[in-house]
Amino acid sequence: MDSIIPQLIVNSIIAGSIYSLVALGFNLIFGTTKFFNLAHGVVAAIGGYGAFAMLKMFDQNILISIIFGIVAAAFFGWLSEKLIYRPMRKNKSSGTVMLVASLGLFTALQAVIAIIFTSQFKTLSTNVGRTKVYEIFGGIITETQVVILVTAILIMIGLGLMMKFTKLGKAIKAISDDEEVAKIVGINTNKVIAKVFIIGSAIAGVAGIAIGFDTGIEPTMGMGLLLKGVIAVIIGGVGNVYGGVAGAFFLSFVENFGIWKISGEWKDAIAFTVLLLFLIFRPGGIFNKKK
Amino acid sequence: MEYLIHLAILISIWSMLAVSLNLIVGYTGILSMTHAAFFGLGAYATAISMTIHDINFFLSVLIGIFVTGVVALIFGLILSRFRGDIYAIASFGLNIIVFSIFLNWQELTRGPLGIPGISRPEIGFGLDFIFKSNLHFLILVAVFAFIIYLISEYVVNSSFGRVLQAIREKEQTIQVFGYKTHFFKLTIFVISAMMASVAGSFFASYITFIDPSTFSLNESIFILAIIILGGLSNNKGAFIGTVFLILLPEILRFVGFPTDIAAQMRQIVYGLLLVGLMMYRPQGLLGKFRL
Repeated sequence: MDSIIPQLIVNSIIAGSIYSLVALGFNLIFGTTKFFNLAHGVVAAIGGYGAFAMLKMFDQNILISIIFGIVAAAFFGWLSEKLIYRPMRKNKSSGTVMLVASLGLFTALQAVIAIIFTSQFKTLSTNVGRTKVYEIFGGIITETQVVILVTAILIMIGLGLMMKFTKLGKAIKAISDDEEVAKIVGINTNKVIAKVFIIGSAIAGVAGIAIGFDTGIEPTMGMGLLLKGVIAVIIGGVGNVYGGVAGAFFLSFVENFGIWKISGEWKDAIAFTVLLLFLIFRPGGIFNKKK
Repeated sequence: MEYLIHLAILISIWSMLAVSLNLIVGYTGILSMTHAAFFGLGAYATAISMTIHDINFFLSVLIGIFVTGVVALIFGLILSRFRGDIYAIASFGLNIIVFSIFLNWQELTRGPLGIPGISRPEIGFGLDFIFKSNLHFLILVAVFAFIIYLISEYVVNSSFGRVLQAIREKEQTIQVFGYKTHFFKLTIFVISAMMASVAGSFFASYITFIDPSTFSLNESIFILAIIILGGLSNNKGAFIGTVFLILLPEILRFVGFPTDIAAQMRQIVYGLLLVGLMMYRPQGLLGKFRL
């Protein structure tokens, strides 16, 4: 009997690893700045398009293109912090005001991408249809997807080690707990937050590039990706870095198994229904009962 | 001349949306981003009842108001559990769920194909007058927009409206005086959604064709940008914001940008306006309230 279940599991794992990359960066930024940075989605798109520009428009090799994409994403993340969010923090803007500002930035950058690269769907893959595929228990996984999965796992481990063993990681934790106290004990919070934006945005850039190789990129991809990341973060518990990863996989499994019997177009509706159910019945996320 | 009338009709329709959203965001201080969903519900109610069931336009407006009212009541009950940033994200989610339904419930909405052939308003009862020319349509829609403006002014200047503004300033204080703030927030949410539905009905009848793409999250962000630009908690500001952002792509086209670039340029301009306003003037041009 040909079962569809192994394929659904493979799809869920791939989607889950991409969502967790978005969630990781989002959670880091939220942890230190305490606002929902909606521009995080377009940063992922910048990563994807940066790599695309190098690879397809300037004919560079894959490695240089990927690095360029990641650097581009990190640069824009850093720039947005420096030019927009830092002055706003200084003015003591509320989280909602910063959320709206990030939404504005998102809208503007998305349109810039659409003007430069047109609104058409583009793929980063250079060998469409000729990718190597592997079969695991009846589910098919492409070589690209294996690379994505491994990269995602490496990034998760790397970030975990960084948070645990480096000075920066400790500073990030301190700021997440209480920014004022962190300042008092001599942590240069602006510097740390700038680094958080660079790291988080670079990881988002990786997610954008991964999508570009797996399926393809379009200027409007950021919003969908961002919202999946946000849902993952809320499911996993806001500010909890590994909770976000768990939330991402939970979300991708529900999404992919949800469309087992109905059309795949319903994915987004399923994702947001999951979000609303969580917000109503378990606002602290999977691991936390408290509000 | 026809062109000016066309723009005036668009301004009338969008000013209904802006004025109604201002009731929620500006006067009550809740960041709702699901307005395009109610706009769409009105449009689909009119489109479906006029093309399939051959119902008169004015009756279809009432059907739209009723359907939207019921949906808004349910949404309002769900959203009443959240506040702040989570409220914004949850309202995002509701917009996307409604959008998915427009897109995927193909038996009812014809999905991405949209519904063509919606006719213009018609008065029966022996008069047999059809608002066929754009000038007649403009007069009709302007009258309705003015009525909605008057209702909003009446609401915000009544004792009910003063309670709403008190909720915005400090919800706990007004609760101490024994006001059931949930009830007030829910009521204004439903009223505002019903107004958006009227705008949707006129939009469907004017363009004579609707498809889901008009009612996406981007539209909600656009309406939000209108009222933030014009000024929160100020109905005249909402109108001025509408005039500016509706005319903006026309001005850009006039200066020499091609049509599709002009549409993207509008996004860039209002995105950056949102960022700039949030940084330096969070209450908008004429607004009285800072988010």
